[in-house]
Amino acid sequence: MSGQRKCPDCGSSEIVEDAHYAQNQLVCADCGFILTEGLLTTTFQDEEHLQEVTYSRSTGQNEQLSRCKLRGIKRVQDLCKVLYLPAVFEDTALSYFQRAIEHPSFHLVSLEKKEILVGCCVFVTCRQHNWPLTMGTICSLLYADKELFASVYLCVLKELELDVPALSLTDLVKTHLNSFKLFQSSASVPAKFAEDKEKMVARTIQIVELASETWLVTGRHPIPIVTAAAYLAWQSLQPVGRLTCTFARFCKMAGTDLPPPAHLRLKELNDILLRMASQLAWLRVLNVDKKTVVKHIGDLLQHRHFLLRSSFSSGDTEDQSATAVGDGSVSSPQAAGCSAQAEGCHPGGKQKCSSVRRPLLPPCLINPRKRLRTAALSPSDQAITGDEAISDSEIEQYLRSQEEMQEFSKAQAWH
Amino acid sequence: MQDVSYWIRPVVRFSQYCLSPTIDDLSSAGPQLYTPMSPFDTDLPIQAAQSASFDSHLDQSKELSTDFSSVDLSFLPDDLNQENGEQTHSEDGHEVQREQYRSQLTEQDSGFLNDSNLSQLSYGDATQPSPETSGACPPLTPMTPITPMTPVSESSGIVPQLQNIVSTVNLACKLDLKNIALHARNAEYNPKRFAAVIMRIREPRTTALIFSSGKMVCTGAKSEEQSRLAARKYARVVQKLGFPAKFLDFKIQNMVGSCDVRFPIRLEGLVLTHQQFSSYEPELFPGLIYRMVKPRIVLLIFVSGKVVLTGAKERSEIYEAFENIYPILKGFKKAS
Repeated sequence: MSGQRKCPDCGSSEIVEDAHYAQNQLVCADCGFILTEGLLTTTFQDEEHLQEVTYSRSTGQNEQLSRCKLRGIKRVQDLCKVLYLPAVFEDTALSYFQRAIEHPSFHLVSLEKKEILVGCCVFVTCRQHNWPLTMGTICSLLYADKELFASVYLCVLKELELDVPALSLTDLVKTHLNSFKLFQSSASVPAKFAEDKEKMVARTIQIVELASETWLVTGRHPIPIVTAAAYLAWQSLQPVGRLTCTFARFCKMAGTDLPPPAHLRLKELNDILLRMASQLAWLRVLNVDKKTVVKHIGDLLQHRHFLLRSSFSSGDTEDQSATAVGDGSVSSPQAAGCSAQAEGCHPGGKQKCSSVRRPLLPPCLINPRKRLRTAALSPSDQAITGDEAISDSEIEQYLRSQEEMQEFSKAQAWH
Repeated sequence: MQDVSYWIRPVVRFSQYCLSPTIDDLSSAGPQLYTPMSPFDTDLPIQAAQSASFDSHLDQSKELSTDFSSVDLSFLPDDLNQENGEQTHSEDGHEVQREQYRSQLTEQDSGFLNDSNLSQLSYGDATQPSPETSGACPPLTPMTPITPMTPVSESSGIVPQLQNIVSTVNLACKLDLKNIALHARNAEYNPKRFAAVIMRIREPRTTALIFSSGKMVCTGAKSEEQSRLAARKYARVVQKLGFPAKFLDFKIQNMVGSCDVRFPIRLEGLVLTHQQFSSYEPELFPGLIYRMVKPRIVLLIFVSGKVVLTGAKERSEIYEAFENIYPILKGFKKAS
């Protein structure tokens, strides 16, 4: 268009398009006559089509930050988008990241650590808002080394002086089960394996609470426990077709991976459930073992408070009085059976587990690993003052003789 | 021992009621309960032993006088039996431990006894049981026995065992590490991996890192004296190899202790109530990391009840830290 116009004032055809204060104008290059101006105001219709410009793009803010910070900020934003986090989380995570990157202990670390720092800031933000995000998820998203993540995370907590509340298991269960693909039948999930999400979540939460009461959760990684509990819940909701499905197959169907400790957790949970089952009168006759206890999980969970009290002795003293409680649902011979330790086994039912009440303790105390316990200082050791005389012969035993040295240097010659 | 039983009974009664009315109970019991005087005198070593914890509570001594909510008297009969048996120290480990306590705390001990803090305990005419007055027992009011008992009731009776001591010393001369690695049997040197010689001796069983600047780090000893002896032996070895090694600035940098409270602990509960000090991430580490402010010690607390204490420069810091954490842990004992 500028090629066809002629300046009305001087007649030259040198018309250029110029942006004067960001307003486009057609100007004659010879005399400066302004042919057309852009609009200073926009109409309502025009404004509808305008796009919001974010602060970071409209000002020169980006030029003030270093490239490393800019990259980190972008990574934080990307991570928040991938995890579908609310906008508030992004702002908090950004502020943590900017504080952290200024800190001397993070300013000059390797690129790998800076990447992990991004993950840590997002992780801390989520935990502070009680958003159940696990370290495993972040590490897999960032392809980060777990040990390195752990050390950077602890460093961040210390340097920025942040408090992080404990991970809530209930929320974790809900989030973890969200990723399971069992809730509608598909090519890989036959109809009888599909399950209603609400029921499964509710039952899994109950089983996880049971595990937490019986010391199976403290000190352990939460995800294997949630996976094992989900498996038991899923099986118990429709035992008929599902008892034959193995744990590994269940995880493959659900689309999660099977963490190695989950088998142990499953075994421990089954052990607890069996002990509880031995206290229910109508289950004693049924000869429940670890394969069939799944069918009765519903009943066991319903009466779990009473069953826990009666299956496990509390700490030091035998809680005889607890057996008297809850007589409503169970018959009296069973209460008598509880208190009689010697004939713990019902004469009729062949219990696979021992009915002797064991104390409710964490598994590490029930099966203690035999460890060499270093003895306390012997009296002769205690009499050391630190200033005794040191004999020459004792020191000489640590020095090489001439022949040894020659042989050693010969052996080292190829170094 | 009949004497001891009289002593124990009022103490046991204390433990049942954790309010000031217990003092009235005692006063009504009458003086005949306190005719056996020896427990008070021979009780002093216990007092000395406990004054470590007591010192840290001196500012809260008013609370101590009436608050027995964390009384644990499991160790009491043993101590009293031994104390009643002899006045002098016997050669068993328990006594020797208390000897160590006492040797470190004598100044605190005397300070405690002569301090006006005693009057804060609101026992008006508290007599001061001292070893010198073993024969002459001043007439006691029923209030007095409380004075020796309060330190006893606060202690846990468990002594953390030292597992590792790290110390540094300056040999004050430049060393040729290749030379040392060649001449010494117990040395290993791999400059590509680490820039120091790693030397080990059998007695005391320790390991040392010897740097070319002449500085040395000695680890693995189980007591301060052992660490010092071991460091001296390493310096002697370096001397025998021909270097003019000295033994300057020996300093204990870190002490690690461990013990067992013998009951399982609900770590999730502990992290909720003591959030500002604890960090419990089961995904990272099975134990709870508790950073105590005073004394500045880091404790690793596990669900089995085992506790590891580290970061101390003095033995007393470890004992004090454990005495501080024990009542907190007891609070989580029966929670289910």
